[in-house]
Amino acid sequence: MSFENYDWSDVVPIEQDDGPDPLAQIAYDPEYSKAMGYFRALAQKNEHSERALTLTEKIIEHNPAHYTIWHYRQQILFSLNKDLYEELDFIRNQVEQNPKNYQLWHHRQVIVEKLKDCSLESSFTEEVLNDDSKNYHAWTYRQWVIRTFNLWDNELSFVEKLLEKDIRNNSAWNQRYFAIFYNPTKPSEEFLEQEVQYGITKIKLAPNNISPWNYVKGVIAKSKLKIDVLEELCKTLYQQGIISPHALGCLVDIYEDRAKCGSINEKELGIQTCILLAEQHDTIRQKYWNYRKHVLTSIA
Amino acid sequence: MSSCNEKNSFSSANTQTEDVKVFDRDKTIGYFKRCLEFLPKPYESSDTHRMTLAFYSLSGLDLLGVLETEFTQERINNWIDWIYAQQILPDENNPELNERICGFRGSPFSGLPYNPNGCRASRLPFDASNLAMTYTALTSLLILGDDLSRVDKSAIINAMKYLQKDDGSFTQTYQGMESDMRFVYCACAISYMLNDFSGINIDKVVQYIKESQSYDYGIGQGPGLESHGGSTFCAIASLYLLNKLDEGLLSKDKTIFWLISRQESGFQGRANKPPDTCYSFWIGASLMVCFSYLLIIVYIIPFLCLFIVNYSYYKLKILDSFEFIDYDQNYNFLMTTRSFGGFSKWPGSYPDVMHTYMGVAGLSLMEESKKLDPALNISLKARKNLLKCVFKSE
Repeated sequence: MSFENYDWSDVVPIEQDDGPDPLAQIAYDPEYSKAMGYFRALAQKNEHSERALTLTEKIIEHNPAHYTIWHYRQQILFSLNKDLYEELDFIRNQVEQNPKNYQLWHHRQVIVEKLKDCSLESSFTEEVLNDDSKNYHAWTYRQWVIRTFNLWDNELSFVEKLLEKDIRNNSAWNQRYFAIFYNPTKPSEEFLEQEVQYGITKIKLAPNNISPWNYVKGVIAKSKLKIDVLEELCKTLYQQGIISPHALGCLVDIYEDRAKCGSINEKELGIQTCILLAEQHDTIRQKYWNYRKHVLTSIA
Repeated sequence: MSSCNEKNSFSSANTQTEDVKVFDRDKTIGYFKRCLEFLPKPYESSDTHRMTLAFYSLSGLDLLGVLETEFTQERINNWIDWIYAQQILPDENNPELNERICGFRGSPFSGLPYNPNGCRASRLPFDASNLAMTYTALTSLLILGDDLSRVDKSAIINAMKYLQKDDGSFTQTYQGMESDMRFVYCACAISYMLNDFSGINIDKVVQYIKESQSYDYGIGQGPGLESHGGSTFCAIASLYLLNKLDEGLLSKDKTIFWLISRQESGFQGRANKPPDTCYSFWIGASLMVCFSYLLIIVYIIPFLCLFIVNYSYYKLKILDSFEFIDYDQNYNFLMTTRSFGGFSKWPGSYPDVMHTYMGVAGLSLMEESKKLDPALNISLKARKNLLKCVFKSE
């Protein structure tokens, strides 16, 4: 039964009182105003009923970000002992329409916590990520599911699929890091070296793609390796005439480290690389590379 | 540089109103004025946070310097009353009864009668304050010239204690919604404005921010999450307001590099995403907060002598070397997102009040005469009001 079919004759709606000169008034749909009028009346009695449940649905239809209504809905669902798997279906439909709504994702988390059943969650987030592989809400939720229910095993292969589709998907690269370093089973040194090689392979496919550069540097920082392992890659790319500001920037870091250890030659190379970046290959960050040059020049 | 600054200036008369490539001040004022009075139906889904929508328009008009000239003091007083009417105060007879819900709501949706002195006695089962709304209520009051004398400061600080989670993050209401970096920022900004940090476990906040720093040195909404311009701003500004910038950032230099790497023309919020108007503020303000540190450590101390000898040289060097943003490219991007007097998220989409505010705030960061406090996200004029009425300094 829908909201309109219930008997509301016993309910005296309470109007919103905005005072004489309100700020940021909204041209509410009359249906929303009516439903909110009933909500205010029911909320005073804290009524948990079937009609109250349909009322929350009506309000959510207009305003899916109404966190108070979601809170009210949760209380009704639990006190009426409703089938929470039906609620998961309801959420699925809602997420299709509002994939970036904080309240919806949180509501799903509350329901799944109550159900203590995560069997539908991996496929659910996968579906949403198929539509938008960078949906921050979906990734946040997916990480919560993995941590809460210890679902680490298949995450790398899931990430692999997404990276095959779009190697520039930074969210997927981040998830790769999450799957390895937030996993309670710590990776071996050998595994990390393989990861660096994996990243290098992906860099070679698209040297201007910042995501694997950041990822590889992140893995190196967690391993016994040093950033110098990227020197050969950076130089080879440049010698092949492939200009990547990320490769040149990485060389600046390497040269600066060595200049600080006393290498005059590498200090000069660092300065020259900064000039290349500032004047030719990364001009939008010209002021930054000039600053890095200034830092290099100041090394005694 | 000079031509760019001229172009970006809000105060100079705008003679090229038809040229879409130049910021049209008058049309933007009109846009904010409309939004302040009446918002169309699509904003229905923002009903619970009207306070924030009001803040965008009020702060936008304030940054454009026209709040007092466009409205009478009577209207401004009415709006101050409307904001106070959203305040939930401790119950008269039993303050413990509602201590967790004290602070400001975003609008009068819970159904209590309008009362410019706030509501005290009757507690409704679904009434509650919200951290983000308390933050924008306080900033809006400061913008409107109010002295915060009707704010129950201790009630707000006390209620905040119930909103911090074990991991250090904050949730927005006691009703138990999601918790992340956004509300960490709100808690820090509120505490700063009320000059009382006793509602926050600061060590836990710093720890949460540290753990939310990603392998690329940007900051996510929480530990393990992807670096994001919005959450990076929230984290950096929180650390700054807590005076913990040194302790909380794992590497300031690398975070600065992450920030400036977001510039494509305008700024993107995450790596490999298209530029979006609002990140001109989120990234720009983060950089400004970081620069205030960089300038002192790297530049001002060694060049102090030079500064005394030659002020103009000093000024020129700061502009050239340390403001890493390409102003012109950002300005040009922002102008492509303009329509109907507002700014939209992307070129070609409809404008909205949030992106319009962020566009104006982003532009004002690039002005030669800085008008925006980047950490609190209010004008320097509003900040001065804060110093006067809370910190009692003239």
